[in-house]
Amino acid sequence: MSANRWLATGNFFSTYQEEQRIFFTHSDRTIFSIFLVLIFVWPILFPLSNKYMLVIDNTLIAIIAIIGLNLLTGFAGLISIGHAAFVGIGAYTIASFCTLIGEDHMLITHAWPLLILISGGVGAFFGAIVGLPAMRLKHLYLAIATLSFQMIFIWTIQFMDFFNQGQTISVGRVYWIFGKVSRDQHYLFWYYAILVFIVVLGFMVRNLLRTKYGRCLTAVRDNDRAADAMGMHPGFTKVYAFGLAGFMAGIAGALHAYLYRGVGFESFTLNESITYLAMAIVGGLGTLPGSFLGPAAIKALDLLVEYFAANVASLMPSSQDVATGLRPLVFGLVIVLFLMFEPRGIANWWRIVRSYFKLWPFRY
Amino acid sequence: MKKGKKFLVVVFLTLIACAFLLNACAKKEEEKEGVVYKLGLSLAITGPTSDAGNPYSKGVEDYFNYVNDTKMLGNDTIECIIKDDQYKTDITKRNFEDFLSNGIVLYLNYSTGSTLALKKDFDEEKIPTIPASFHAGNLVDSSYIFLPIASYSEQTVGLAEYVVNNHQGDMAKVAMFIHPSAFGRGPVEDLQKAVEAGLKMDIIEVVEHGKDLDNTAMLQRLLSKNVQYVICHTVQSPVATLLTDAERLGIAAKSFGESGKLTFLGVHYTGGNDLIALAGAASESFLWTTSYVLTSEPGKWTDKQLDLAKKYNRDDKTANSHNYTNGIMVAQVAAEVILRAKDKGLEITRDNLYKELLAMNGGNAFEPGSTVGPVTYSETDRAGVDQLQLYVVKDGVFTAVGSTFQSEYIKKIK
Repeated sequence: MSANRWLATGNFFSTYQEEQRIFFTHSDRTIFSIFLVLIFVWPILFPLSNKYMLVIDNTLIAIIAIIGLNLLTGFAGLISIGHAAFVGIGAYTIASFCTLIGEDHMLITHAWPLLILISGGVGAFFGAIVGLPAMRLKHLYLAIATLSFQMIFIWTIQFMDFFNQGQTISVGRVYWIFGKVSRDQHYLFWYYAILVFIVVLGFMVRNLLRTKYGRCLTAVRDNDRAADAMGMHPGFTKVYAFGLAGFMAGIAGALHAYLYRGVGFESFTLNESITYLAMAIVGGLGTLPGSFLGPAAIKALDLLVEYFAANVASLMPSSQDVATGLRPLVFGLVIVLFLMFEPRGIANWWRIVRSYFKLWPFRY
Repeated sequence: MKKGKKFLVVVFLTLIACAFLLNACAKKEEEKEGVVYKLGLSLAITGPTSDAGNPYSKGVEDYFNYVNDTKMLGNDTIECIIKDDQYKTDITKRNFEDFLSNGIVLYLNYSTGSTLALKKDFDEEKIPTIPASFHAGNLVDSSYIFLPIASYSEQTVGLAEYVVNNHQGDMAKVAMFIHPSAFGRGPVEDLQKAVEAGLKMDIIEVVEHGKDLDNTAMLQRLLSKNVQYVICHTVQSPVATLLTDAERLGIAAKSFGESGKLTFLGVHYTGGNDLIALAGAASESFLWTTSYVLTSEPGKWTDKQLDLAKKYNRDDKTANSHNYTNGIMVAQVAAEVILRAKDKGLEITRDNLYKELLAMNGGNAFEPGSTVGPVTYSETDRAGVDQLQLYVVKDGVFTAVGSTFQSEYIKKIK
């Protein structure tokens, strides 16, 4: 271990435990703590309009979903193109409670943290069920199995009266220690609530990856036969990877239901599943920072392209159709170019920046 | 002077020039002196249903430009922020929040899904909202949504009444061909209620269409069940496929109720010139109802609409689209309530516009000209135009059939 715990240049690990630490230096821990304080404090110092708070809350929810997808696709190597359906399971768990006991029932409005966790549990259950074919299927075949689940989910929601045939099911306003959360406070309140979930789940996943269960995921991804020979259970690992992804997605879905105060099928379609996959890939598969950077980048890009289209339309009103049509085109093009020139995702940039500071003042 | 320095000086001077220019523009704006009333419209300019959304947005945009250009509100102007939501509710919600932070006094929404999803927000914000969706469910548990014309349910039941009144022989056998969504399913229950209330017809089957490119099997099945009438409630393209297939199979009725064949009827979003363009000759004899005046029926209003489209450089397709009329009509209602509130010396606020909308009845009913009847709203009636007009495709254009009508059974089942 380096003598200086504040500015350790390079790697100085003498035990496995040292390598498994969450923070390698005091600087890392301090910077992270300051960052954590900042993300909790900035909305009070620089209040944003509801539109931007909604975008930020939505991005944070996507981060939770992508942490799950990254565990599944990035760490365990199991492709899922039905992740939006798992998010939908979480959202529809809340919607089901609303249908059964009423949207303004105390359980919905007061015990919302419990319901969010229950939604995670339901997501995990369905994840594990969908994960069962993963014991027999691999690669594209598994992708098709998850696609089927996505189709079944949408079909079920759209045709069952219980789910209002996909029409919006309203969710009541929640309460917390200071009373009912008003419309003015709504987005700020959910910013903090989602942030707490992200911090807790982020640490959980970081810790998981340090344990044998986390290493199992990577081992099965790299070579499941070798993992089997080393005493791991590839089948169980795959099912539990799906369960974990389902849990995260379920939490994200429940938060989505509360944030939007309603659940409709449109937010959980195949289109959304592909967007989630794009977020995970752009962020960087198999990296925890990638789960944060991917959703942030994609949502920011979406907003930027929207501004671009709006500005083109305002400068040339007659070409408004072209400008709005350009939006998906520019969006797609940026992602394709990004994947061509940085296939390891934004997390790689993060790695390069960290390495630079880690080695500083040396160049290599 | 070195090249770099020269470049910096040029950039610096350009920035100063731009700042002066912007300042001058801002002053010019201030000189206008009028009040700007902000409105918001979120709709599908791209993505699903943009074939309807696109001309609709142009109708709204053109009419507000017309209001401002002709100084209908004096020096005051209307600024309607139009944003594309790609038919996605999440984006609609984002746009709505953006509009609110911009201080809008009236909101124009579009799809059924997003109207239902944002219903509570409209109530909490107490903002009068006029959607392009005529779904009757929009009005349930909501006080601030105002439908421009009769609901889909009213149109469907109205068509069914027309079938019953003009059908010859035993009980009329009807099938429904609907969009697989809240928008499509809305009127099914109401039509069933009308049948239970005494409307003498049999609903043989309700078909939710998918993305089928061929309806042969479905059409043959309907025929085998002795279905004679198909009431469609969806968008134009599936109806065009349906009509084309029926024509190819030789089972499309050439006149209303032709025995052994199928007579097709449809509500607002199934018809219009786009249907004729898509289905061609197969659209002949298709019966369609809406509350809008069509440019294929020349009159005082249609000249005005075509002039408006010409003034703002719209193509013929847009100028003749009933969705363009639809957008104009919604803008007319919005401009009218602002004008009425202004004439009374009231401040233009959400609350005052809401009250003006509710007072739009009796002697205060609004005659926009773009519709076949007056726009009326009250505490108990938040569907604008109650009159419906039946049109039929004759020689490639929609022609009015008889005079306007209102559904009788819809009142019984309410």
